[in-house]
Amino acid sequence: MMSTKKTDSLAHYAVTVVGKDRPGIVAATAGVLYRLGCNVEDSSSTMLGGEFSMILIVSHEKPFSKSRILEEFRGVAEEMGLTVAARTLSPDEVAYQAPGGELCMVSVYGSDRPGIIYRVTKELAERKVNITDLNTKLIGTKEEPVYVLMLEAALPEGIAVEDVTAMLDKIKKELNVEISVRSITPVSL
Amino acid sequence: MPAQPILCYPHPVLKKVSHAVTTIDDEIRGLIDDLLDTMRAGPGSVGVAAPQIGVTLRVCVVDVSGSRHGKENNHGLLVMVNPAIVHREGAAIMREGCMSVPDYTGDVERATAITVRFRDGEGTEREIAASGFEAVAIQHEMDHLDGILFLDRIVSLKTGLFRRKNYK
Repeated sequence: MMSTKKTDSLAHYAVTVVGKDRPGIVAATAGVLYRLGCNVEDSSSTMLGGEFSMILIVSHEKPFSKSRILEEFRGVAEEMGLTVAARTLSPDEVAYQAPGGELCMVSVYGSDRPGIIYRVTKELAERKVNITDLNTKLIGTKEEPVYVLMLEAALPEGIAVEDVTAMLDKIKKELNVEISVRSITPVSL
Repeated sequence: MPAQPILCYPHPVLKKVSHAVTTIDDEIRGLIDDLLDTMRAGPGSVGVAAPQIGVTLRVCVVDVSGSRHGKENNHGLLVMVNPAIVHREGAAIMREGCMSVPDYTGDVERATAITVRFRDGEGTEREIAASGFEAVAIQHEMDHLDGILFLDRIVSLKTGLFRRKNYK
C-alpha cells in the first residue's frame, strides 16, 4: 500500500544524533525537539557497537534554518557527548511513496572477509532490487570473526524471491558465505 | 446492505470488547451479510470482524481459500458467531497488516494450530481445527472482538534479532 501523509505545508528536517550509549539520550533529544515545536514523524534508533544512533524525520509548521536546530541542541550535545546533524528536506523528498511489490528477507553470514556487503548489495542494485532495511553485525570470536548481514528488500516487477536466491547463489560460492532468501511480504488481514 | 466502510484506528469502537450474540435473528443475519460483502469488497481481504464495521458484537468472517498462503489448507468460508479458541499449540511469527491500521505492518506471534468452537450463520454449533495461515487469520479477527489490534501483539522490532548479543 502506498503511504501518503498530510504534511504538504510543513517544513521537514532530517536529524541524526550519535553518541556513546547511556540512559537519557532519547529523552534529551525528544526534549529539545519538543521545545522547538517539532513533530517527530518517522524515526529509527539503535545501538551500533557502543554508540547509540538516532535518525529522525521531524516536521514543523514554520520553516526555520537548520542552524536553529543545531543551536537548540548545543547544550544537550555537549553535556551528553552527542554529535548532532540536521538537513532541510525539500518537498519532493518528503512526498515519498513506499516501494510496493514483494518483500523479501536476505540472510548472509560467514567468516568475516572484506567485501561481503559490497558484493551482495551490488548484485541487488544491478537488478533494481530496493533495500528497505539493512543490518550488519560482527559476531563470533577474535580468532574466528563471523559476519552477519540481514536485509529486507522490495522486489521490482518481474523478479521473484527464487530469482533473488539464484542471483545470490554465485556470490555464496565466491565469498564462501551462507545466503538464504525468503518472502516476508506482509499478510493483509 | 452493500459493503461497509472499514473503520480505522483511532475509531474508539476498535478498542471495545464486543458483546456475545444471544440469538441469531434478522439483525445478526444482516450483520453477517454486511461482513461478507465487506470482506469480498476489500482487495485480498481474508477476514472482517464486526467491530471493523462499527458493530460491537462477537461475529467475524474468515476465508483464506483465495489467498496465496491459505489456499492449500482451509475450511473455505467461515462465519463465526461467538467464537472461542478451546485449544492452541505451536507458535510462529508472521508479518501482519490490518485494514483498520493502514500503512503499517509488524511481526506478530500466533499459535500455529487452534481448535475453535463457534456457531455458524445458521446457528449450528461447530468446532474446527485450523492451522497455518487460516489459524493466523482467525486469531487476528477474533482479537478484534476483544478490542485487541495487531499493534498490541508485535513481538519485535525488525532488528530484534541482533539484540541478544552482549559485548564482551
